[in-house]
Amino acid sequence: MEQKNRNTRAGTRLWKTKILKELRRFHLYLLPTLWSAFNIFCVYWIVVSSLKTNREVFSNPWGMPADLQFENYLKVWQVANLGLGLRNSIIITLASVLLTLILCAPAAYALSRIKFKGSGWLTSTFIAGAGVPSAMLIIPLFVTMTNLKLINTLYGLILIYSTVSIPFTMFVLTGFFKALPSAFEEAARIDGCTEFGIFWRVMLPLASPGLLTVAIFNFVAVWNEYSLALVFIQDEKAMPLARGLYAITSSMIYTGNWVGLFAAVVIVMVPSLLVYILLSERLIEGIATGALK
Amino acid sequence: MRNGKTRLAIAFSLPATLIYAIFFVWPAFQSFYLAFFKWSGVGEKTYVGLSNFRELLSIIECNVDAQFPFVHPSYGDIFFWPSVGHTLVNVLAGGAITFSLAFVLTAMLSSGIQGKKFFRMVIFAPNVIAAIALSLLWAQIYNPRHGLLKNFLGLLRFEDLAKTPWLGPDKVLISTLVAMCWVWVGFNLVLLLSAVEQIPQDMFDAAKVDGANTFQIFFQVTIPLIWDVLSIAVINFSIMALKVFEFPYIIKGLQAPPQIYTLSIYNYILGFGRREPIWRMGKAAAVAVLMQIMVIGMILIFARLFRREAIEYG
Repeated sequence: MEQKNRNTRAGTRLWKTKILKELRRFHLYLLPTLWSAFNIFCVYWIVVSSLKTNREVFSNPWGMPADLQFENYLKVWQVANLGLGLRNSIIITLASVLLTLILCAPAAYALSRIKFKGSGWLTSTFIAGAGVPSAMLIIPLFVTMTNLKLINTLYGLILIYSTVSIPFTMFVLTGFFKALPSAFEEAARIDGCTEFGIFWRVMLPLASPGLLTVAIFNFVAVWNEYSLALVFIQDEKAMPLARGLYAITSSMIYTGNWVGLFAAVVIVMVPSLLVYILLSERLIEGIATGALK
Repeated sequence: MRNGKTRLAIAFSLPATLIYAIFFVWPAFQSFYLAFFKWSGVGEKTYVGLSNFRELLSIIECNVDAQFPFVHPSYGDIFFWPSVGHTLVNVLAGGAITFSLAFVLTAMLSSGIQGKKFFRMVIFAPNVIAAIALSLLWAQIYNPRHGLLKNFLGLLRFEDLAKTPWLGPDKVLISTLVAMCWVWVGFNLVLLLSAVEQIPQDMFDAAKVDGANTFQIFFQVTIPLIWDVLSIAVINFSIMALKVFEFPYIIKGLQAPPQIYTLSIYNYILGFGRREPIWRMGKAAAVAVLMQIMVIGMILIFARLFRREAIEYG
């Protein structure tokens, strides 16, 4: 560890050298800095613009609003019924992520560690689903869901989200379970544990990093999902947040209510961003290790 | 206790298998079946053989700039091939742009500069925000009246450039592609960066000692050593780019213009329409089947291209 002690002459020289060294690599900082600055600026710009009046958006695009128009947010919240949208999103996302885990964790464990007839074939079928575009599913599913009276319901959407999460989740979880050393399994068996107990008390806890990662990934995907909700939910009362945003977009653009639109975008954007800033390390590491395995 | 174990395994796999079979596999087969019929969603299905496919694949009347009619007789002929074109632009041009930028950024971020984690976090961030919010954000950036891009160009005194209709019929495809690449680069940056960081520094040092320049190091050291991750990233990207729906669909806010139609969008419109439903379910299913064939084709091509022994090192 280099000394950052500037009380000695040597310490100061070291620190200055370090800065100089970084300055020589200025060209390496250029693109990442510009890119990051752009991203941050976009968020800043849309937040600031959402607090302006429509006239200010045209007349004063770069500056600050004269008064902070918080009412833009209140209006959008009421008109688009975002409170309900938020509640729907929370229910749908939590339920579908949970359902996916309940379905896939036991299956992934069984398929990756217990050899039975057709297990390889079944695993491949699960994973192959990743290459099936949703376009192949939506039309027959729409008919099925209509017949089951699950259109426009949260239950239907939860079921669909869980289903389409299966390929990716199985891909990650089978990899994870397979990589667990069998020493634990054998030790538990010797101790007289039942097969179910081995899963429940030994292997499942061991795989919890993988479960957590895939849960976070599915959470983000479902929370932001829009295209399936577009097909299966037309009733405003059942719309999750992203879908609700779309429902009011056309009317806002039609009436030229740009600031309302900005406010809605911020409402959808900011929670994800805040959670992301807290969790980003976790999420990124998860994706990285998932790909490497 | 082999039987007991097998029984447990089957019990464990059953729920997932059932749900998957009923709500995923069966509908996929149904789409394949439906593609050979003419059906409006209710009532009778009429068997029409390959006529849906013939209608889609015929090149007679492609005219993506046509007004969107709801009762045009040879309706599908107009939009299918342009949709394919737009989709391929997204996959190929998008892939080239995305991976070039991702590699450049990977090289910069893995060279030991300060703030790598910060940069990575900010550049990846769009991937956690809803596509609808991002698409509307870019719609504001590109807006011809109060848009960020217009104001920025005006600031730099590029008045003529500032007046460009970024979301107009000729430019909307490229504009949307830029926005999508902005998101995709972040994702692939994370994948590539984690792969590149696995490479032991000795490899790079040895290459430099042998006198290799940057390009040689890149093509003969870096690429081969991240081959596996690269193949997954490319295959995953091509499927993602082929399926793209949300970004182009929302970018103009009101209705997606035919100049931006991707296959997913066209499939959706044939089945569920824009303002009013079209109810050409059989044809929509045919589009989906063609998409599936394209996906399988791409996977086979890339699997072939990337097939190689994994390099062991260390």
